[in-house]
Amino acid sequence: MTPSTDPTTAFFDDLASIGHVPLFHSISGTIRIDLNDGGETIHWYIAIDRGDVKVSHRSAKADAVMRTEKKLFDGMAKGTVNATAAMLRGVLMLEGDLELVASFARLLPGPPRSLASFLERQKEMSQ
Amino acid sequence: MSDGLVKILDGNIFVVSDPRGDIEASLTDPTGLFAFDTRFLSKWVLTVDGQRLNALSTDDLEYFEARFFLVPGTGTVYVDADLSIIRQRSVSHGFHETLTIMNHRSEPVTLEVRMEVGSDFADLFEVKDALKKKGKYSHRTEDGNLVLEYGRDTFTRETWIGADKPATIDPSGLTFNTTIQADGTWSTELRVVAGHPALPMHPKAMMTPSHTRTTRAMAMATGLERWLGAAPHLECDSDTLKVTYHRSLVDLAALRFEAPILPRHSLPAAGLPWFMTMFGRDSIFTSLQALPFAPDLAATTLRALGARQGSHLDDFRDEDPGRILHEMRYGELSAFEERPHTPYYGSADATPLYVVLLDEYERWTGDTKLVRDLEFEARAALNWIDEYADLQGNGYISYKRRNEKTGLENQCWKDSWDSISFRDGTLPGFPRATCELQGYAYDAKMRGARLARHFWHDLELAERLEKEAADLKRRFNRDFWVEDGQYFAVALDEEGRQVDSLTSNNGHLLWSGIVDKSKAKAVAAHLVGKRLYSGWGVRTLAEGEGRFNPIGYHVGTVWPFDNSFIAWGLRRYGFKEEAAQIAEGILAAAEFFEGRLPEAFGGYPRAMTKYPVQYPTACSPQAWSTGAPLLLLRTMLGLEPVGDNMVVDPALARTIGRIELLDIPGRWGRVDAFGRGRVDTGRASRRAHRRL
Repeated sequence: MTPSTDPTTAFFDDLASIGHVPLFHSISGTIRIDLNDGGETIHWYIAIDRGDVKVSHRSAKADAVMRTEKKLFDGMAKGTVNATAAMLRGVLMLEGDLELVASFARLLPGPPRSLASFLERQKEMSQ
Repeated sequence: MSDGLVKILDGNIFVVSDPRGDIEASLTDPTGLFAFDTRFLSKWVLTVDGQRLNALSTDDLEYFEARFFLVPGTGTVYVDADLSIIRQRSVSHGFHETLTIMNHRSEPVTLEVRMEVGSDFADLFEVKDALKKKGKYSHRTEDGNLVLEYGRDTFTRETWIGADKPATIDPSGLTFNTTIQADGTWSTELRVVAGHPALPMHPKAMMTPSHTRTTRAMAMATGLERWLGAAPHLECDSDTLKVTYHRSLVDLAALRFEAPILPRHSLPAAGLPWFMTMFGRDSIFTSLQALPFAPDLAATTLRALGARQGSHLDDFRDEDPGRILHEMRYGELSAFEERPHTPYYGSADATPLYVVLLDEYERWTGDTKLVRDLEFEARAALNWIDEYADLQGNGYISYKRRNEKTGLENQCWKDSWDSISFRDGTLPGFPRATCELQGYAYDAKMRGARLARHFWHDLELAERLEKEAADLKRRFNRDFWVEDGQYFAVALDEEGRQVDSLTSNNGHLLWSGIVDKSKAKAVAAHLVGKRLYSGWGVRTLAEGEGRFNPIGYHVGTVWPFDNSFIAWGLRRYGFKEEAAQIAEGILAAAEFFEGRLPEAFGGYPRAMTKYPVQYPTACSPQAWSTGAPLLLLRTMLGLEPVGDNMVVDPALARTIGRIELLDIPGRWGRVDAFGRGRVDTGRASRRAHRRL
């Protein structure tokens, strides 16, 4: 899969390019995301400093850890998999500061179909 | 919940058994050990030599601990027992039970003691709706413990059961063979631990002695003592009020819940046993009621709801950016998205109320840090009102679920199917713009403006919000006012028509401040007038309306929570006597429930029944009923934070007598408030009757 079609990489690239996330304005801490891809584990580090965000693969001390299959995270990055339900099913493991994880999860997109139908309703209302 | 059941709990972990301490649950029966919305134990039956036991007495020691005194035999003829059995149980990640058997004979006795166990791993929703399970059951033994297992694909739940005395373990129980000396005693400690991914530790780690009953129970007892010690002290003439106040504080302590995302911080869950989870609306209302007594609840509620604030559109969960959640659940049906509660956002009032709570919290505590930390969340909530809640494009919040299968139809506090109706009983279509939502939106904008001006340093936003609030108030007083009735319509329907019945929602409008001064007198008169006021409190729907029924859930019963906010609303507009009358009625009703107000009671006239007729509800205690006496104390004493001080302006019924509320916490440190009953409570109603 090339980087441009890989939803996980695209998600993190976007996050890195934004640099500052208002939603994180009162949060500081590092989340490590471990993604298992066919036996190999990729680590992503999201370092948050009162809204400023740095994304890297460089090892650092993490305040929270999220562990799952790369394939599942692809779904989360596309908005087709819900993180909370996945946690309850035992396919997404969380450790450490869960408030930090919950804040991070708010960056994940929603189902594309829900957004499309919202835009449709908006269009109808403006007509 | 039917009486005779013994309930103990710690947050969302609770045990419900019969008076013997036994659990024999059918699918639809709410007994068992529950944790995170899952039943981890549906069978827990003690026998001695194959015989069931008889309860001599049962003590609920504290809300987290119970003791059962038992003797063998179930016969009808009482025979002096030569054995006594004591079960002492306390909750902790499951529960611990110390089983003690005393031999009263002058010779040794050899006994077979057996605990029959089993678990159906039912989701609370399955217990409510009698649904069948889709996974597989199994069991194993590990480290001398019996482990009951349930699995469905990747979803697994386990119940660990063990004892500190050697036992023979089989898939359906533990058997102890023991000989007790003459006048001797035998004892064992049984442990049951629930394994759930949202719990902090693996169950195996919690089967070790470091988590024994005594440590946890002692920690909880100290916690309860500290909680009661931190609350203001009440001295008063009325014994009922004293009992009710203490009951409220203890029940509120029991209803505290630690959301996994904020460990070691508590927020109020909605009610036992069905609603031991985070609810946007219930947690916010209860935090508001408890602000002068336990302000930390509000802080945790704001943080936990903020961390879970809606961030995108999700039709299944009725989620929008900025929306505050309605209900969070951790069971199997939520895990497999057969229910939308991960979390579900279908509530139209929690979002504006979130801003109201944040502002009210700051006014009491002066905790400006939280107001700054939650600036993003509060702005997003304010934005939701205009961007996502105005479904009809008419400038009003309205609701219509997008999840038509498992979402909620009615997203206001009166959430039953027939709660919103026209005078003739016809039900309106959707979207529905209920009136109190507009009041909350108005209040949220006004309070949001204060926060923007003083703490976020955004004058532009403050001015815009004030302008929008003023515009909303003007339109609302025109569009919702029922001219021939002199009150506000309960809603506008899908075509913008007034849903014209007279309801208690008018009281919430006073609380929000959206009512024009010129209309307030008529509204207050209705609230203590014959059609709405029963003598105990304000009915949800007025007598004479098409759907009125004194024992209809939202169409005629009296809700203590509703009345506490109505009393606050009356005080906001200066109707002190009316507020005092409502407080008197609800607190008088509390006497009949030993200080624990139910969710709702019948709307029969007080003069007719002499006692309040309880509505048969599933949950007791219920958080916002528990909070009602607290808010009524505030309204009777007229407590109001003004700048860095607390103003006291008492107005209470003669029958209440003297009240002293000491050490009220706030930005002022701690201060005392005094009041003496001088209000003749009949006067406001008599005045109202002349007017109407």
